[in-house]
Amino acid sequence: MARTRGVGILTRGTIYLYLLPALAIYGLFFLRPLVDLVRLSTVEWDGLSQKEFVGVGNYRELLNDSEFWQAFQHNAVWMLAGVVVPTFVGLLAAIVLVRGAIHGRAAFRALLFLPAILSSVVVAVVWGFIYNPNYGVLNKGLDLVGLPARDWLGTPSFVLPALFVVWTWVTFGFSMVVLGAALQTVDESYFDAAKVDGAGRFQQLRFVLLPAIRRPLAVVVLINAIAAFQVFDLVFIMTNGGPFGSSNVLQLYMYHNGLQFNRVGYGSAVAVFLGSVILLFSLVFLRLSRLTKESD
Amino acid sequence: MSLAQPAAESDYVPHRREFRFMRMLAFDVLLVLVTLVILFPFLMAVITALKSTSDIIQNPLGLPSSWEWGNFTRAWSEGHFGRYFWNSVLVVVPTVLGVIGCSLLAAFAFATTKFRGSTLLFALFMVGLTIPLDILIIPLFYEMLSLGLLDTLPALILPQIAIGLPFGILLLRSFIQDLPRELFEASALDGCSRFQMLRHIVYPLTRPAIAALLVFNFMWTWNQFLLPTVLIQSDERRTLPVGLNYFQGRYISDVSLLLAGATIAFIPVIVVYVIFQRQIIRGMTVGVTK
Repeated sequence: MARTRGVGILTRGTIYLYLLPALAIYGLFFLRPLVDLVRLSTVEWDGLSQKEFVGVGNYRELLNDSEFWQAFQHNAVWMLAGVVVPTFVGLLAAIVLVRGAIHGRAAFRALLFLPAILSSVVVAVVWGFIYNPNYGVLNKGLDLVGLPARDWLGTPSFVLPALFVVWTWVTFGFSMVVLGAALQTVDESYFDAAKVDGAGRFQQLRFVLLPAIRRPLAVVVLINAIAAFQVFDLVFIMTNGGPFGSSNVLQLYMYHNGLQFNRVGYGSAVAVFLGSVILLFSLVFLRLSRLTKESD
Repeated sequence: MSLAQPAAESDYVPHRREFRFMRMLAFDVLLVLVTLVILFPFLMAVITALKSTSDIIQNPLGLPSSWEWGNFTRAWSEGHFGRYFWNSVLVVVPTVLGVIGCSLLAAFAFATTKFRGSTLLFALFMVGLTIPLDILIIPLFYEMLSLGLLDTLPALILPQIAIGLPFGILLLRSFIQDLPRELFEASALDGCSRFQMLRHIVYPLTRPAIAALLVFNFMWTWNQFLLPTVLIQSDERRTLPVGLNYFQGRYISDVSLLLAGATIAFIPVIVVYVIFQRQIIRGMTVGVTK
């Protein structure tokens, strides 16, 4: 089929009229702040007085900032867990929904995806109530079965796992839906062939199902990684990084420095660092994604 | 013993079907239970929103001993949720329309015409796919300050259109590229102007992609939290998520009021979700399985 690409139907004069609205808004409210961010990361500035150029000074300071490294560590662990757990839970749910002998697949899928569409504040309020040390449902439930109550968000060693449970609750639905759609495209005859060859359930999973959805799985893993590395809203609302920085993450550190403590340059340097890591993962993602390929 | 004997084929078939039915039922029951566990936080929130404070302490897990519907009206009036809701609408509608309109025009240009610098310009737009908006919050704050837009709704709308464009252009370009060129040639012969082609050929044929963009940008914008937290200062211009967060700060000890507020905030999203569920799920998978 002849493609539209290169039909050349717009003339040189009119083409810019079509591009102008997008370019103007994108240029002013994405590219300009992006350039500003990099420039701000090279100055010391309290937001009011004269900016002082310090070159890579902010970055050098980051290297020796233990709070920064603590936050970075949390991001790294969070991303690792954020790749493994929601992907696995989502895959499991997708397998049950697509291949399980069940009724009402669409209804279950819709219900299980519900947590993923909520605003982070709603999630934070609802889970904050569950974790509340005084009247929270979790502690009341533990009490009923004779287990000790805990201050889940107020104890340094519990706070990240407790927040991560919420993260998984929110994000597994994405993996479930995308992997479920991929599973539906797998040809049933592969499974039949494997069964004829005497493959058990686990072997069918390992040698038929997983290889068949390799590509969407890679995409899901990358999107989960990128999303997890940017974690902010939940932590900001539920703990604000506490107690004692034990749930601090990079984007929160950026926010605190740049917008709360008036260390605009330093906060920007954190943002540049965070952005660079995400950029790296996004480039891998774009290489994998089919949309960016020239159709042929 | 007859039990040890292999059953005759004619006996075996109904038996097996019965077994399969039982297994299917067991699977259904299990799945219902798992789904209930996952939806538990919602149910808990709604039930607790209907309790009195003393009821929450004495009877945290059960149903309300008296149903306090007044919590909702109190949250609505004291919490200013009506105003927050309206602000969210005033931000979301122009953002979504802006993304779709600008993306459609630009994608039409990119998909149909090769011009000098088109590859470079397209690549420049794709930078936006690799960097999240939240990271730009510090320069955005100072930019809005210098433009005099701080604490106005356009401060939320414009950057969110900007960050929605890369995906919009990418998705629509790929749809338009796949249209057969004969469509354009035939319509040109019929004396169709370029804009009429966009209106009468491209727009109807890219409707699924536009629907996906609509739903996505609605959800991204409706739930955006950091931008309004930083760029909006007065209560009259807060959107729902920041309004709820502010409310949470004030009513931290009034749990039922807080959860009534949260319920008010999530009901519209659930309504939109129930209506557009198919589009949301189809839109999400378009990039992966297309």
